[in-house]
Amino acid sequence: MSAIDDLTAELARLPGVGRKTALRLTYHLIKAPAEHAERLARAVIAVRERVHPCEVCGNLTEDDPCAICRSERRDRTLVCVVEDAADVGAVERTGEYRGLYHVLGGRLAPLDGIGPDELNVLPLLDRVKEGDVAEVVIATNPSVEGEATAVYLQKLLRPLGVTTTRIGRGLPVGGDLEYADGVTIAEALHNRRRLE
Amino acid sequence: MAAADTRAVVLRTHPYSESTVIARLLTEDFGVRSVIAKGARRPKSRFGALLEPFTDGRIQVRFRDDRDLHTLAGFDVGRSRQGIGRSLRAFAGASLLAEILLRTGTEDPHPDLYAAVITCYDALTDGSEPDAVALGGIWSTLSVLGFAPRTDQCIRCGRDIDPGEETGFDPAGGGVACATCRPRGRRLDGVFRRELDALCGSGGRIEALDDPRLHRELLRAHLIAQVDQDRPFRSLDLFLDSPA
Repeated sequence: MSAIDDLTAELARLPGVGRKTALRLTYHLIKAPAEHAERLARAVIAVRERVHPCEVCGNLTEDDPCAICRSERRDRTLVCVVEDAADVGAVERTGEYRGLYHVLGGRLAPLDGIGPDELNVLPLLDRVKEGDVAEVVIATNPSVEGEATAVYLQKLLRPLGVTTTRIGRGLPVGGDLEYADGVTIAEALHNRRRLE
Repeated sequence: MAAADTRAVVLRTHPYSESTVIARLLTEDFGVRSVIAKGARRPKSRFGALLEPFTDGRIQVRFRDDRDLHTLAGFDVGRSRQGIGRSLRAFAGASLLAEILLRTGTEDPHPDLYAAVITCYDALTDGSEPDAVALGGIWSTLSVLGFAPRTDQCIRCGRDIDPGEETGFDPAGGGVACATCRPRGRRLDGVFRRELDALCGSGGRIEALDDPRLHRELLRAHLIAQVDQDRPFRSLDLFLDSPA
């Protein structure tokens, strides 16, 4: 296999990159100045060497604990539980949440072989038992599996005396009822709230 | 090619690329099929949140004779079963039922099987007695598929079993054995056997059980002996151990 084929095959394994795009990226790297390709190669190696899950929350970080867990400005009574590290970024971008996080590393999906033992649950329980946590916000995805994971966590957290909440689900902001699918409208109706 | 139209329930989905999903469906007219739903992961996909496990509806699918993977052209949701996720027992039972269907299902039309599965998923969504409903749905489905345990005759000597007689359960033999044949398995009295018969014919409609844990254990033994084929069911542990 030639070097071109080799790189194209590796790039095509990335999510969202098909064979054609991979080939285009390969030719771009060949034509670009050598230092561009070297910088990319160094960045790929560095991210693999330095980035790891935070020992406290499971978020991806270069330092232990991560910047969010270390921050004095965070509300340490609040922990938001998410499925993946990428979800931390999504919640952070809202600018509305100032608490801490806990990354489960997935959701209950028995058909995929993911049961309770495969999730990062015990460290969450230890965090709640240890200290100042007053509320756990469960922000698993709004799917059947995400909901079942939330129910499972609630059953474990309830005996520890901590308040457990679930993020809301329903229609997107700026959306149009007419164009929303039936499942989303049904969920929005199920989760309707009293107007104060 | 014209799209075929049938009723279907989603058993499992997994992402195929950034925007595409592959779904395994139980259809009323074409058995268990795999379909590709292009664009289903995009935020404004016409499939939206429809391709979720246990959701049923009418599908339009373009079959290709030379392929195992067909193209999903449309999905009009009948009933979303998000409610199943609100009970861990219901979720575990629904997942195990889906796994049994994925393991044993064929491409033949099977309206009775489809009806049994929909009845079970409806009852699990409605939320009462998830233990008994899940067991009833799974045993009913196994019965329709031809895996029901024999409870009216001894599987060894063929003698009719008296209603009050204590028997043993022989998972490898696929049913109960009379006291004369000295079965080694778990002891089952007449009341338990009647519950088991009721579960097999219940279609998921059963009120409550005397000892759900014993029923779950019996189902586990039967599945391992009769259906498992050395490939353990991934959902079984969650079904056996999930908190009520």
